[in-house]
Amino acid sequence: MGEFSNSSGKRKGYLGALALIAILFGLYWGLLQAPADAFQGEVQRIMYLHIPSILTAYLSFFLVFVGSCLYLWKREKRDDILAYSAAEIGVLFTALTIVEGSIWGKPTWGVWWTWDARLTLTAILLLIFVGYLMLRSLIEEESRAAASAAVLGIIGFLDIPLIHMSVYWWRTLHQPPSILRPDKAPWENIHPAMLTALAINFVAFVLLYFYLLSHRFRLGEMLEEIRTRKLRRDT
Amino acid sequence: MGPWGFVLLAYGIVWGAIVLYSLSLRRRYRRAEEELVRLRESEAGQIRAQK
Amino acid sequence: MELLTQTFLLLRKDLLLEIRRRESLLTMFFFGTLLLFVFHFAFDLGPERVGQMAAGLLWLAFLFTGTLGLAQLFEGERDNHCLEALLLSPLDRGAFFLAKTCFNLILMVLVEIVVIPLFWILFNLRSWEVIPHLFLIALLGTVGFCVLGTLLAAMTLKARARELLLPLVLFPLMIPVILSTIRCMEAILRNGSIDDALPWLRLLIGFDVIFLTVGVLIFDWVIEV
Repeated sequence: MGEFSNSSGKRKGYLGALALIAILFGLYWGLLQAPADAFQGEVQRIMYLHIPSILTAYLSFFLVFVGSCLYLWKREKRDDILAYSAAEIGVLFTALTIVEGSIWGKPTWGVWWTWDARLTLTAILLLIFVGYLMLRSLIEEESRAAASAAVLGIIGFLDIPLIHMSVYWWRTLHQPPSILRPDKAPWENIHPAMLTALAINFVAFVLLYFYLLSHRFRLGEMLEEIRTRKLRRDT
Repeated sequence: MGPWGFVLLAYGIVWGAIVLYSLSLRRRYRRAEEELVRLRESEAGQIRAQK
Repeated sequence: MELLTQTFLLLRKDLLLEIRRRESLLTMFFFGTLLLFVFHFAFDLGPERVGQMAAGLLWLAFLFTGTLGLAQLFEGERDNHCLEALLLSPLDRGAFFLAKTCFNLILMVLVEIVVIPLFWILFNLRSWEVIPHLFLIALLGTVGFCVLGTLLAAMTLKARARELLLPLVLFPLMIPVILSTIRCMEAILRNGSIDDALPWLRLLIGFDVIFLTVGVLIFDWVIEV
């Protein structure tokens, strides 16, 4: 590992350790310390996964947007690597959000899937992420791919508020608001231990996200170096 | 499946997926490292041969 | 205004080419009509159900037809290094974007002018007087489709599996347009006026304005040699 470990490797190590500690704390609070919900019972504990997951998914897309803007502006490779890495990890967290929402929905609503606003929006977000990654990888020429993906990142980010509005209007105008939705926490009555669990898990997910992102970013840098060295060798 | 069943299913899938992703990341890392070492050494070899 | 003059020049070129060969228009027209037939068999559309589903089916037909048009949008520039020549010329890239968008828009509108009355005939619908209103809504939705579609068609020009990639990336982004257009059309079919669906109309117009602006500004980076 000699020539590849450096000071940033140590920082990643600390970040990872912090993330792990937060995750363990979050598991303890979420599964044991926080009380079960009065209406939904134990199943409500999935919220401690679901809300942090969806927030990191949106954080991911924001980073794709930032990377895309920076790339189009300055054309520095590392901004493209940032966007691409954030998209890949974003796919992971978005897919997990959908799975969590589905598992939460089964005992709560009786079905594995419902076209309610939150699940539908998360599914759309996943589609956009996947489309971004496919566009990025299916274009042969590297700088073309990076530029096109960057434009898509910006268009997608600008579109998301419009998609939100349209899907929410569509769902709320068609159905009466259901009494209990797993994604709406009753903030007035929430038990402080639940809030704590939520906060700890949120911190854990964010730390974990940046830990994974930093490693994926490093991998991206290495892959880019491989690509340029090969180009140099073959010309 | 009881309520705890669903909870453990969700937690299991989430953390399982994250572990799997980390492992896949590590595997790609290793492969990229090896490739880079090879490329750097062959480049150094070429320069030496030119001298 | 410089931008508009250039847009018009480029648009005129594409239209002249199309008038002579009529490839895109004919394929799109026949595909749109064919879809109506397929819908009849697929959905078993009796008179009671057709009224409810008309808006969605029409818009579905236009979406797929439009995608066909997008796939052929840059065909004219493929041979003889036409694309490079256009990009090297001092033309504003924004004009190029507007011209291509308008071209696809005109093709789709021509198809819609035929398909909407045809739908009414084939499925024995009564309310002929709402067709002009429906057509206006379809126009607004088509603008949104053509704007985003042209951007993405240009971005995927050099991509592998382009025919699959373009719809895959485009359709999720089109959801605001799809929802707004269909809700507005449903309101018109139900009540004859759009009053119920005004928020949707505003969303649709907002979408069109936003992405038309973004498209003109960002096209420089989308299409490079």
